[in-house]
Amino acid sequence: MDIDANRELITAALTRIPAGDRAALQTVYRLTSAKLFGVALRILGERSDAEDVLQEVYMTVWRKAADFDPSRASPMTWLIAIARNRAIDRLRASRQSRRMEPIEQASEIADVAPGADRMLTSMETHARLHGCLDRLAPHERSALRGAFFDGNTYEDLAARMSVPLGTMKSWIRRAMIKLKACLEQ
Amino acid sequence: MSDTQDHNALPDDELLAAEYALGVLEGTERAAAARLMQRDPRFAAMVAAWDERLTPWTAEIAEVLPPPQVWEAISAALPGESQPQTGLWQSLAFWRGFALASALAAACLAVVIYVGSISGSQPLVATIESGGHRTFVATIDTKRGTVAVVPAAFTADATRVPELWLIPADGKPRPLGLLRADRAVTITLPADLAALAKSSVVLAVSLEPPGGSPTGLPTGPVIGSGKLTSL
Repeated sequence: MDIDANRELITAALTRIPAGDRAALQTVYRLTSAKLFGVALRILGERSDAEDVLQEVYMTVWRKAADFDPSRASPMTWLIAIARNRAIDRLRASRQSRRMEPIEQASEIADVAPGADRMLTSMETHARLHGCLDRLAPHERSALRGAFFDGNTYEDLAARMSVPLGTMKSWIRRAMIKLKACLEQ
Repeated sequence: MSDTQDHNALPDDELLAAEYALGVLEGTERAAAARLMQRDPRFAAMVAAWDERLTPWTAEIAEVLPPPQVWEAISAALPGESQPQTGLWQSLAFWRGFALASALAAACLAVVIYVGSISGSQPLVATIESGGHRTFVATIDTKRGTVAVVPAAFTADATRVPELWLIPADGKPRPLGLLRADRAVTITLPADLAALAKSSVVLAVSLEPPGGSPTGLPTGPVIGSGKLTSL
């Protein structure tokens, strides 16, 4: 209910932006900026970088809102993808991922207990994704986690997990194939 | 590469889409994938599908309230008409003076004269109060479609922020925006809501988590309300 109401509010505001409706952008910002800032901050680690990226994200939303197709994507997925990509672009420009400490495959820790953001992601889809992630081998899951949350490249991950680059590519690709198959079941 | 042999289950372009969505690419590979997204709708759809698969993972990332200057910078960078926010209208000292003067009528009269002199429009005013305790004064400029909200006697709460709601005849609260305890805030009303702002319609303020109500409806305590009055 909450998720649907928010999805509709965000979608309605997004569809008003291409006409130049500044208040609509403000509504989108008000409803989504805390989540997108959290995402950018998780990847970048520095508040000042995340603030710059957040600004770029909403300027992108302002220019590209017409590209959002509510019949094909959820508004939060669309917005989070923009935020992640902007944050990763900035990370790549600085040539170094923030997190490079070795990944111990035994110590997988979720960053934050889910539940705080009932507005944005349905717990059902989160549980489903988790069910499929749990079916991956631990090293595959660790590698995906490092890429998704830390913005690591193949090379970063190979270094963090002390395996050759080719092995890392193979792990990630195999993991993505398994993940897709599992989610489509 | 020999490591491509046993995962032919994904075609090359879909593999690239997955890698791009996950974020592991860098340099020319990442740039090439970004360009492909721009010119190949089929590839863009594959990336979007992978985004849809992976994004639920971000439920593990806590929300963090960005500082107010981020929105201010965005707002300043937007093209088109910016609301003139100068002079008396935005002066907190000016409005604090009114808040201290308990005679609301005098304040309203001044608003009439002031607003009337600059826009010739018919303003609507609401005193947002609870049990005789006035928290905010809101003035809607119907011509410009803006609402200016001035804190009267409202003390900031470290964990919650005041959010303004418009409650028209259908009784369903519409979020208008976040307010500040320390200064006047001017919010541009979306056209559909501006049309609903009429005499006798209620404005209310609730306390919400940073960033505003997560549900689109008031979730925290309502700390005051008041009917719009035409001046």
